[in-house]
Amino acid sequence: MNVNVMTLRQQTIRVLSKQKAVIAIAIMLFVMLFPNTNFYTPLNIMNIFRAASPDLIIAFGVTLAVICRGCDLSVGSVMALSGIIAIQLINGGMNIGLAILLATLSGSVVGFINGFLIVHQKTEAFIITLGMGMLVKGVALLLTSANPVPAKNMSFMMISNGSLLGIPNIMLFMLLLGAFTYWLLRYTSFGRNLYALGGDYEVAEHSGINVIRAKWVAFTITGTYAAIAGVLLASRLNTGSPIYGDAIPLLVNCGVVIGGTSFSGGVGGVVQSFIGIMVMQLLVTCMGALEVDRFIRMLVLGIVIVIIICMDCYSIKRKKEDV
Amino acid sequence: MDNIDNNIILSVKNVGKSFPGVKALDNVSIECRRGSVHGVVGENGAGKSTLMKILSGVYTKDSGTVMFDGETIEHTTPIQSIKKGLSIIYQEFNLVNTLTVGENIYLGRFSEMKGMRNIHKKARELLDSIGSTINTHRMVGDLSAAEKQMVEITKALSFDSKLIIMDEPSSSLTSDELKQLFVIIGDLREKGVTIIYISHKLDEIFELCDIVTIMRDGRVIDTKPTTDLDRSEMIAKMVGREIENEFPPRPHCVGETIMEVKKIRTRKLNDISFTLKKGEILGFVGLVGAGRTEIIRAIYGADKTKELEILINGKPVNIKKPIQAMRESIGLVPEDRKLEGLVLPFSVQSNIAMASLKGISKFGFVNASKEKEIADRQIKNLSVKTPSPHTKVVTLSGGNQQKCIMGRWLEINPDILILDEPTRGIDVGTKYEIYLLIKEIAEKGGSVIMISSELPEVLSMSNRVLTICEGRITGEFNPEKDSAHDIMDAAIG
Amino acid sequence: MTDQLRLKSFNLGKFVIEYLVFIAIVLLVIITAIVEPRFLSAENFTNLMRQFGPLSFVALGMTFIIVGGFIDLSVPGMISLVAIISLSLVDTIGEIPAILVGLALGAAMGCLNGTILIISGASTQAKALFITFGMSQVYGALALIHTDGTSMNRNLLEHEMPLTRVLGSGMLGPLSVSFVVFLFFLTVLYIFQTRTFLGRSINYTGGNIVAAELSGIPTKRIMILIYAICGFMAAVSAVVLFSRVSVTTPTVGMNYERDAIMAVVVGGTSLLGGRGNVLRTVLGVSLVVLMSNCMNLMGVQSHLQEVVRGAILVIAIWLDHRRQ
Repeated sequence: MNVNVMTLRQQTIRVLSKQKAVIAIAIMLFVMLFPNTNFYTPLNIMNIFRAASPDLIIAFGVTLAVICRGCDLSVGSVMALSGIIAIQLINGGMNIGLAILLATLSGSVVGFINGFLIVHQKTEAFIITLGMGMLVKGVALLLTSANPVPAKNMSFMMISNGSLLGIPNIMLFMLLLGAFTYWLLRYTSFGRNLYALGGDYEVAEHSGINVIRAKWVAFTITGTYAAIAGVLLASRLNTGSPIYGDAIPLLVNCGVVIGGTSFSGGVGGVVQSFIGIMVMQLLVTCMGALEVDRFIRMLVLGIVIVIIICMDCYSIKRKKEDV
Repeated sequence: MDNIDNNIILSVKNVGKSFPGVKALDNVSIECRRGSVHGVVGENGAGKSTLMKILSGVYTKDSGTVMFDGETIEHTTPIQSIKKGLSIIYQEFNLVNTLTVGENIYLGRFSEMKGMRNIHKKARELLDSIGSTINTHRMVGDLSAAEKQMVEITKALSFDSKLIIMDEPSSSLTSDELKQLFVIIGDLREKGVTIIYISHKLDEIFELCDIVTIMRDGRVIDTKPTTDLDRSEMIAKMVGREIENEFPPRPHCVGETIMEVKKIRTRKLNDISFTLKKGEILGFVGLVGAGRTEIIRAIYGADKTKELEILINGKPVNIKKPIQAMRESIGLVPEDRKLEGLVLPFSVQSNIAMASLKGISKFGFVNASKEKEIADRQIKNLSVKTPSPHTKVVTLSGGNQQKCIMGRWLEINPDILILDEPTRGIDVGTKYEIYLLIKEIAEKGGSVIMISSELPEVLSMSNRVLTICEGRITGEFNPEKDSAHDIMDAAIG
Repeated sequence: MTDQLRLKSFNLGKFVIEYLVFIAIVLLVIITAIVEPRFLSAENFTNLMRQFGPLSFVALGMTFIIVGGFIDLSVPGMISLVAIISLSLVDTIGEIPAILVGLALGAAMGCLNGTILIISGASTQAKALFITFGMSQVYGALALIHTDGTSMNRNLLEHEMPLTRVLGSGMLGPLSVSFVVFLFFLTVLYIFQTRTFLGRSINYTGGNIVAAELSGIPTKRIMILIYAICGFMAAVSAVVLFSRVSVTTPTVGMNYERDAIMAVVVGGTSLLGGRGNVLRTVLGVSLVVLMSNCMNLMGVQSHLQEVVRGAILVIAIWLDHRRQ
């Protein structure tokens, strides 16, 4: 029965061969060998992961949306809002746990509404989440009058900044959520149904899968993850600010696509998104270490994003035109 | 219901189904014996697919009864009928390319199966039982057509299907793969599974089936054991219909050669070459998917090609885009009216004037009164039934929508007009009007290439017929002399 | 059949949705006039015309993109870059050449957007959205790099800018100069859209790009054209923007894409493409401007206004899909 056993090695090779992103990472790591920076210190590497953690958490959620052929551009604003809600509630004297729960729920609510509008009302995911993002950012601005809100409670700060066995808590949270999402997508019927409906909506529907519910739940989870990331970021920086999430939607959605989760739906996963986000993060860190001007960094990032999305579009076009 | 014969697994009695303007099934009755391989043959549009879709629950029937395994089936959904033990394997596979083999087999039943490991284990057992070695962890998108078919069969078996309907299962298989399929079908028959085998390929029917039902025009013509039939008789029953006054007399005004297609090569098409004469109506006959549409799309520049050599009036032309084809005075009425032809939310006038706008523009400005003239003229010419030229085209009937597209091209009056399925889904009266239009074009010296799945239509309208099979031109016929039988034979390949 | 029946019977819901923007404008004017009499003053009228300003130009350009079935999020980057480049060229090549260069730059950026979309085969709105989103980042970064992140002060330039001053605060009878310029563009673009072959082709492309291509409409050229128009109009609004204020930041274009899309969709141009025109957009812009004007008059906090705007955008998109 050896035909049936796909070894871990085969699976790894399969994932890697589709990973242009891995090559990109390798190149960047190689470049960093040359300049005289302290890039390759355990502390620095830890810092890279720590800095990437909120993005990664959001990306895990966005992965669900992209797998079922959607996307979510409201995640940046949701992240900003949940951080602000958490800090304001705690500053107002609420129990920390309850405050975090409420902040997280705010993201679930936005995700739920997104899901309702996309799945039930059949609006286009990208445009309606863009609008929702603007609405949510308005709420964040309203709550803070556009000013950063510092947290007064030290134990809230420790949620992200504390560490366990030398690993920062925020990273642990990221790894936990990553593992959970991995399990959710790979081993639960919900996750597999999501791949099915992303791969072929009609076949999935005809096979008796409750496509509407599955997709709706996926968007709700996406919103929830963004909110969790927001709380953790607010805790790490000890501040909530309405402008935190401005670049996030683009970065995360692109990171997910670089990893190999295509907009054409049905493929990808947590590992791929992880790698994709790390490409973006490494790019930022490398440019930082090489002391590239921050505006030039923005430019490079923009160009990279455009090229990546164009490549995704181009490969779909090539497949269609195959003569 | 005491007269149930336990040997009859499926009994269809007097089933009828109409679509707007078309009677797709008329009083159809079929009985299938348990453990037999039952062939169903017929031309395109004979009603086979409609019948199968009624059985699977995609369509609901208008009248008649269906009994399956001793149970009357009234309203059913695809998933319910599969669970009852009636599976269909469509020509277009119903598989999710981005999932693994195992997952596809148990799609929609993940939670019942208690874990992915179990799914792969069960799938493995089923695949082994039909002697397939496909790895259940492979992506379906990476499989060959034959392997995908195995997966579909396995999926049907996983539901303990008693009846499996296969719709054109051989269309994408090589001859070796086909032999393997026959072996599997033989095994299934021995296990007591009934197979309904739909195919155009008569050789397969003779090799495989115990009994065969021949359909034509939504009716069952005959059901006989295959041993009592020969190929020639079967073709006669498939095509033999009395042609009444359905068609206008065909025009005879064939002149000089206007277009010479030297070579078309794409992934699907192989070295296509033919000529078209002035005033000629050239018919393309072939099965759906044989490459008819691909040929005319290549000529029109709508698809990319590896090689394309066309002479028009003896001069080589370079056509890469539809707009270049239009400059060479070629027009196309596309196959899919709604997706490729009309701008549905726009008015009748906008849709008719669409291709003429450039011609009636001066310094880039569209002459509005001329646009209105064009629309009025064509509406009158073709007697399009519309409340006003400003009515949205989406509210018109299929026939009138088709007339709008015809009007769009008649206004430009191209030398060569290509019609891809010009009468699909149109009621009989409007069909006749469209035939008259085609005749008129030819009489005025225009050349027409006509593709149609309805054999009588092509045969009665064309001056010359080319048969196309699997991306090649397999024959050239004169429909006035050669018999429909021979033409069908060449088209089936 | 059912469609025809539905046309005959008067459907209140459909009527309300179809004329929502009219109804909303009328209600808004009445309510504000009652609550706040200052609304009807001549002074406020001038104010309203000014607020029409930059947004109205971008929205006109965006109309063509959306009617053509696409979307352009690169507007903020384009506005910022054009404003910065034009201002910084004034001292070297003079005011009018600088503005002309800015306008040309806007059109060129639009062409670039369109070309990238065509080459990569991004034929859907979603893909266009992501790519132009990225392009906005690129243009925005270029603006920041050019000034090294600092703002530009018009008063500190050596060169006098008479044209800009007139554009910024001049009046032509009862109308402000920028409003007259807007009326000029509106007329030209309206004629272009409804009377010319290319303008009509945009509608066909947005309505059904496949059918348009098969009927000989140069859809690829149309794609470049609509992005070029949008880029050009963004450049015009950039000029209007810096004519208003003395200090221009390199992120001056922020949020214009949102307001423009909102104005276009609120006006009744469908995001599905093919339907709508610039006149509808004027209605949309009017509603957006009136709303913020009356919220300002009533003393609504500016951040609450943001929330209201976001909510209107979401509802407009939702209703647009419901209408189909």
